Amino acid sequence: MDIRVLRPSDIPHVQLANITNLPENYFCKYYLYHAMSWPQLSYVAVDVSRPPKTPYDPPKIVGYVLAKMEEDPSDGVQHGHITSLSVMRTHRRLGLAEKLMRQSQRAMAETFNAHYVSLHVRMSNLAALHLYRETLGFTVEKVESKYYADGEDAYSMRIELADLKEQLLDEQEAYEDEGEAVGDEGTEEERKEREEKREKRKAERKMRVRVGRNKGVMDLVEKNEVAAA
Amino acid sequence: MPQPLPAKEATLFRSLVKYYEGKLYKKGLKAAEQILKKHPNHGDTEAMKALILNSLNQGDEAFALCKEALRHDMKSHVCWHVYGLLWRSVKNYPEAIKSYKMALRLEPTSLSILRDLALLQCQVRDYEGYIESRRKMMQDRPQLRQNWTALAVAYHLAGNLAEAENVLNTYEETLKQPPPKSDLEHSEATLYKNTIIAESGDLVRALEHLDGIINNSLDRSAALELKGQYLLQLGRNDQATALYRVLLDRNSEYRAYFDGLEKALGLDRSNTADIEKLTKLYQAHASNNKRNDASRRIPLDFLTGEAFKTAADDYLRRMLNKGVPSTFPNIKSLYQDPEKKAVIEELVLGYVSDKQTNGSAEGESNSQVALLNSDRFEQSVLYFLAQHYNYVQSRDLAKAMDYIDRLLEMDPKSVDYNQTKARILKHAGDIQKASETMNHARELDVRDRYINTKCAKYQLRNNENENALETMSKFTRNEAVGGPLGDLHDMQCMWYLLEDGEAFLRQQKYGLALKRFTTIADIFEIWYEDQFDFHSFSLRKGQIRAYIDMVRWEDHLRDHPFYTRAATQAIDLYLQLADNPQLSSADQTGLDKLDPTERKKAEKKAKKEREKAEKAEADRKAAAAAKATAKGDDGETKKEDPDPNGEQLLQTKEPLEVALKFLRPMLELSPLIIEAQNAGFEVYIRRNKHLLALKCLLSARDIDPENPKLHEQSVRFRQAVTKPSEPLSSQASQVIQESFTAPSADADLEAYNNDFLKKHAQSASHLQSGYNVRYILDNSSKAQNEEDLQKTLDLSDITIQEAQAGLALLDQWKSEQKAKDDYRAKAAGRWSQATVFKN
Ligand SMILES: CC(C)(COP(=O)(O)OP(=O)(O)OC[C@H]1O[C@@H](n2cnc3c(N)ncnc32)[C@H](O)[C@@H]1OP(=O)(O)O)[C@@H](O)C(=O)NCCC(=O)NCCS
Repeated sequence: MDIRVLRPSDIPHVQLANITNLPENYFCKYYLYHAMSWPQLSYVAVDVSRPPKTPYDPPKIVGYVLAKMEEDPSDGVQHGHITSLSVMRTHRRLGLAEKLMRQSQRAMAETFNAHYVSLHVRMSNLAALHLYRETLGFTVEKVESKYYADGEDAYSMRIELADLKEQLLDEQEAYEDEGEAVGDEGTEEERKEREEKREKRKAERKMRVRVGRNKGVMDLVEKNEVAAA
Repeated sequence: MPQPLPAKEATLFRSLVKYYEGKLYKKGLKAAEQILKKHPNHGDTEAMKALILNSLNQGDEAFALCKEALRHDMKSHVCWHVYGLLWRSVKNYPEAIKSYKMALRLEPTSLSILRDLALLQCQVRDYEGYIESRRKMMQDRPQLRQNWTALAVAYHLAGNLAEAENVLNTYEETLKQPPPKSDLEHSEATLYKNTIIAESGDLVRALEHLDGIINNSLDRSAALELKGQYLLQLGRNDQATALYRVLLDRNSEYRAYFDGLEKALGLDRSNTADIEKLTKLYQAHASNNKRNDASRRIPLDFLTGEAFKTAADDYLRRMLNKGVPSTFPNIKSLYQDPEKKAVIEELVLGYVSDKQTNGSAEGESNSQVALLNSDRFEQSVLYFLAQHYNYVQSRDLAKAMDYIDRLLEMDPKSVDYNQTKARILKHAGDIQKASETMNHARELDVRDRYINTKCAKYQLRNNENENALETMSKFTRNEAVGGPLGDLHDMQCMWYLLEDGEAFLRQQKYGLALKRFTTIADIFEIWYEDQFDFHSFSLRKGQIRAYIDMVRWEDHLRDHPFYTRAATQAIDLYLQLADNPQLSSADQTGLDKLDPTERKKAEKKAKKEREKAEKAEADRKAAAAAKATAKGDDGETKKEDPDPNGEQLLQTKEPLEVALKFLRPMLELSPLIIEAQNAGFEVYIRRNKHLLALKCLLSARDIDPENPKLHEQSVRFRQAVTKPSEPLSSQASQVIQESFTAPSADADLEAYNNDFLKKHAQSASHLQSGYNVRYILDNSSKAQNEEDLQKTLDLSDITIQEAQAGLALLDQWKSEQKAKDDYRAKAAGRWSQATVFKN
């Protein structure tokens, strides 16, 4: 099974997977809305090993995560939201949902600078709860009573992305350093030097991030004052 | 020129426009009335009123009023603009474009008219017109980046890559300093430009450009993927190697990345010398990443012999020990290789005895956990085997049933086991019991929609349309207009609509079948329409690459198998209607065999029953609708469907015209589907379009020269052109003479057919075609054909579906009941569980 970003041509079968697995369904345009607004965030799990039957075979989607950025975050903090996640029963417990979620979270941080991810889950959905809490590290924010059309309550859950963002910056820096190093042989000494440079920058960045966070709060305070005035 | 209004009315008119824009329709209407009281012939006011009426679902009144407005004020751009909007709302795009252009001629500087025109031009793929409109819009507001991007998009879609790039460059040059890294619009625009450069084929330049922007690209995955592709294609393998390693660190479940890495390393799976290196490569990845599947699963594709056996053993034990029920679906594609299939079967059968001798597969101490684990292992193994023997490539249904029954003894409440049992029954042909068993599985976990969905599907396969809808209704929004079916329709639940239609078709409820197939075509229409808003939305969002992707997808939307499936069956039905118009007058079970008076009686009775059913249905609908509106949580009221049972569809006077509508998108977009070409032949030959029919015939021949349907059609075509009902034009005759050679013009068709029968003596579907041709050539051969057809039931490879097709052939030949009963009895002997052959 491949895990890759969702393309518009996947939508019919994502829609099919959704209406097969979940009671909350959407028409094509809603999927398009996600794919055209945040094309980096939604991922699909595809069975690629089946020999094609015709030259027009659509990708065989066995799982998907449909995700977005919150458009007007009420807390003023940029964050992502999971609109829908499901895996066909025939392909459950292969780790697909976990991997779909991780790719989406990464893209939220990387492309949209999301600070956290939120989602809703039925309180009775033990499989999903286990996945979010134990495997991925989400925590319960609050209970939203009667969130679902049939009257069931939802857990509102979230996970902070700060650590992930740290890791992404490290990765990018490593990549950029590699880029600088291309061409020269890279003696032991030079490599060490690069390594040190990177460590130093990492430390600097930690500072920056902390300052940035404080500043974020101050911005909010200022905004509130302006609003009050 | 708009007619001038006095100051007071002019103010009123301005608020009228505001009301319309703010969707305050009641107030808008009131304002319009006020103006019209004093200036009854004021065209612009009438036009605005028409626009509001249209928004209030009063389309006919709106059109009439707008025509009136135009009569009063031919020279008003407002009237023409509104006229265009009205046409657009009924999806008559050519007329809408004409009206917009008229409006624009009267008011060349109106940006809103220009925008409406541009969007429509894009929607109908008039790219030359679109470029022109976008250029004007850009010139009007050159400070907006969107406008430049839009112009570039227009050129790009029109295929003019150089100009597209040029436009983007011109804008970039106006930037005094590069936008900050956090500017997503900029990041996307530069990546978009990069893809244009790459499309132009100059990869060196594309790579150079990408290197300049990659560190600021916010869509890192895409940027890195592009870079990997360029490096590979340019043969810069060392860099490509490093890059694909980076990509794999980010996502190690994507075969495209592993393929890239293999290529960059110069490894070739078909080269035995490389296999060891490949194995090491994947091992390294696997050991670094405990939860990764790809690095463990991929080697099973290229390994052979002992190495395969060892790797498969590791892989299977790992999954089965963990108790992953999806292990089988994850490996079954390996079964294309019979050797691998045999190895896997042997391995897993070994695990069964393993467990019995060792007590525990992992040799753990005899603790509680070990016992639990060994139980889990045993069940996974048995479950794997049940699926293995149920799978088409390794089918042995008796064994499959045996394994699943053992599992059900251990865990009778398992949804998975019960579901698999239903599947096994289905493959044995017992669709009745399959449906019951799946329903039982559903009852074991009523909160899981997946199993609920499967249950509805199995009910439809067993022609239980009502039960299926009842099942579906446990998860639909039943307060939607039209109840559960209305919701499934709104949510575009294609699989259900298709299966529902097919079940109706099997029951000869042709109206309802056509209704469902038409609904599928309608949904594709909606999907095409859906892109409209994004022509502007995507520019605002700045996600241009995704938008281009969508436009290209929409261009071949209807090559989707859902469309093909609905269209081929709808066409088939319309062909039957064209051949036999009486089909539409009743659900025809056996009517054509009765004598005229009896037949009339029967038809009358059928009509009465139909009316009764219709009335009941209407009452039910009305009640449901009343309930829905009473609840009112659907917001907009949907119009009641005037033809819920497809009666009107069935009564069409022009079945072949309708068939053409279904046919054209298939021939254009899925020409390589042989069923599409088969269908095309049938439609065109009935319309006496010999050359078009021939074209389908030749295309079918290119796909599969031995196709059974093609054989029959070729013989019929030869007959048709030898004795045409209307003389052929000399040009047509010549083309046919030159390109239609099998069977040749002087062929003995009987001998030609006998050759075909001889050549395919072991294939039921080919023999069926041959016997049918024999019947067409000489219907006195019927008895012989019936006898031979029965013999096909002895063929070793014949499937239930083929046997069913044989039964349908007997209907086509209008065979006696006895012939059918004999055939059925013999088939029932072979497939003792199959519901379709039971009487
Ligand atoms: C919830 C769902 C998406 C999980 O998909 P999946 O691909 O099977 O999940 P994964 O294989 O990635 O599981 C990752 C982890 O989640 C947990 N998990 C998943 N399914 C579980 C189950 N049935 N019971 C307990 N834990 C479970 C496990 O911790 C698992 O890790 P492990 O296999 O190493 O023990 C899937 O069950 C599903 O589609 N359900 C129906 C739709 C749905 O409920 N969607 C969520 C709506 S919020």
